[in-house]
Amino acid sequence: MNCLEAGKEIPNYCYGEVSSELEELVESHLADCPACRTELARHRKFLELLDEREPMLDSSMLVQCRSQLNTAIRQQASVEASHSAGWRGWHRVLETLRDFSRVQIPFKVPVGAMALVALGFVGARYTPEKFGGVRAATMEPLFSSVRSVEPNAGGQVQIAVDETRRHIVSGSIQDPQIQELLVSGVTDGSNAGVRLKSIQFLHDQVLPAGVGSADVDQVRAALLGALRNDPSAAVRLKALDGLKQFASDATVRTALAGVLQKDEDSTVRMQAIEMLATHHDDSLVGVLQNVVQKEDSPLVRAQITQLLAQLKASVGTY
Amino acid sequence: MYHAAETVNVGLAAPLDESGLIRAAQNGDQDAFERLVREYDQSVLRIATNLLRSPDEARDVYQDAFLKVYRNLNSFRFDCSFHTWLYRIVTNICLDRLRRRKVRKEESTSVETPDGMVDRVTQVREEGAHANPERQMWNRELSGGIARGLAGLTPRERTVFELRHYEGLRLREIGDMIGTTEEAAKNCLFRATQKMRLSLETFV
Ligand SMILES: [Zn+2]
Repeated sequence: MNCLEAGKEIPNYCYGEVSSELEELVESHLADCPACRTELARHRKFLELLDEREPMLDSSMLVQCRSQLNTAIRQQASVEASHSAGWRGWHRVLETLRDFSRVQIPFKVPVGAMALVALGFVGARYTPEKFGGVRAATMEPLFSSVRSVEPNAGGQVQIAVDETRRHIVSGSIQDPQIQELLVSGVTDGSNAGVRLKSIQFLHDQVLPAGVGSADVDQVRAALLGALRNDPSAAVRLKALDGLKQFASDATVRTALAGVLQKDEDSTVRMQAIEMLATHHDDSLVGVLQNVVQKEDSPLVRAQITQLLAQLKASVGTY
Repeated sequence: MYHAAETVNVGLAAPLDESGLIRAAQNGDQDAFERLVREYDQSVLRIATNLLRSPDEARDVYQDAFLKVYRNLNSFRFDCSFHTWLYRIVTNICLDRLRRRKVRKEESTSVETPDGMVDRVTQVREEGAHANPERQMWNRELSGGIARGLAGLTPRERTVFELRHYEGLRLREIGDMIGTTEEAAKNCLFRATQKMRLSLETFV
């Protein structure tokens, strides 16, 4: 290796990006050549100078970026859920929702077919032992997090660790334990996709197939809980869908009136109005007259006005 | 309390279960996605800021990149490491922006000063507020030299140089990210280093 060749290799040599044979050649040349050793020293000085540069990164930037991303992702999720969800087109939402979560579960499974339900973490009360006839497999703990750290008498330390285990449970849709898990999935599901699918299964398969009356109450209660509290509008819509067959039920109608007053999503409100309209009762006109004045969305207002006209009632003083 | 460490060690300092997190995020778990973001977002922001020399553009890149990850996480098939995949997304967005900038013939962050083109983001470490005037002058000149050098690099040279010199990534990985061979990345790095060295000639 001559000086010209060595000079060409010095930059990559400094970065440790030369093959081991080349490295040996460079080093044996450097050992015999003071000029190239000087060049190596200058190059190293140059690399050090580059490191004097410090980027102007302030810590608030990261915080800002994270919160912007959070907002963008939440928007994206709700756009996915309500894309093309205009009035009368809201049912198309459901088409979108089938792709909402990435777990591929066919939605139109024949009743009685084996359903594989991955519910994520639904609580420690679901231990494998609990599943008599249901297949359950325990997998390795996925995540550990430290709950508390305390010193103990022996000068040692005692640490409480929460572990999230995932069990995969599969069984017939008619299995009471699977049904129980589905009901839990409605409220405890770790993400909106899981909660949606739980409702979908209950609505499409469990309820039509018929369950004991006690269980119907349980399903209805879970759906009402989701309607009132779920942060995802898509899940609340789905819960409304599931509650349709209970539309004459007084508790459900109270909840629907609550939706009209409190739900921030206009599609959910419109769907609630449609459900209220299917069963007339004395309180309906009062409820509608009450909310129409506070309603921000022109679409929802128009819908209420139209409904009130059908009911031959005044729209009040708005 | 040193012996306590033995107790703590058991199964606790478990390294981040990255593939578990990715799978959970692929299944729609938002928390898992957020943990993935937090694992890497500082590097992403640093790379973007360094490459584009503009905090505003870096913020946009951060958004673009992680939204892309969010939308395409399903297509991640574990055939490369997650960070290679993520950095590939980030460097491609940055490269696009650098190229568009070249077309528009503007260096959005460089400003004219009496000392020539100075990169607003390139700041040379100040040795405290009491640095002597000579040292301050030297700092300014050095930062001007680095900025001029960077401005003279092609988008690709700049990317390879940033990732190798400032991020310490290996050329093989860099080649993988920008869609070229290790050998081509090596040549690119060589050219970039030469140009940078020239612009700092008076300092070495
Ligand atoms: Zn020599």
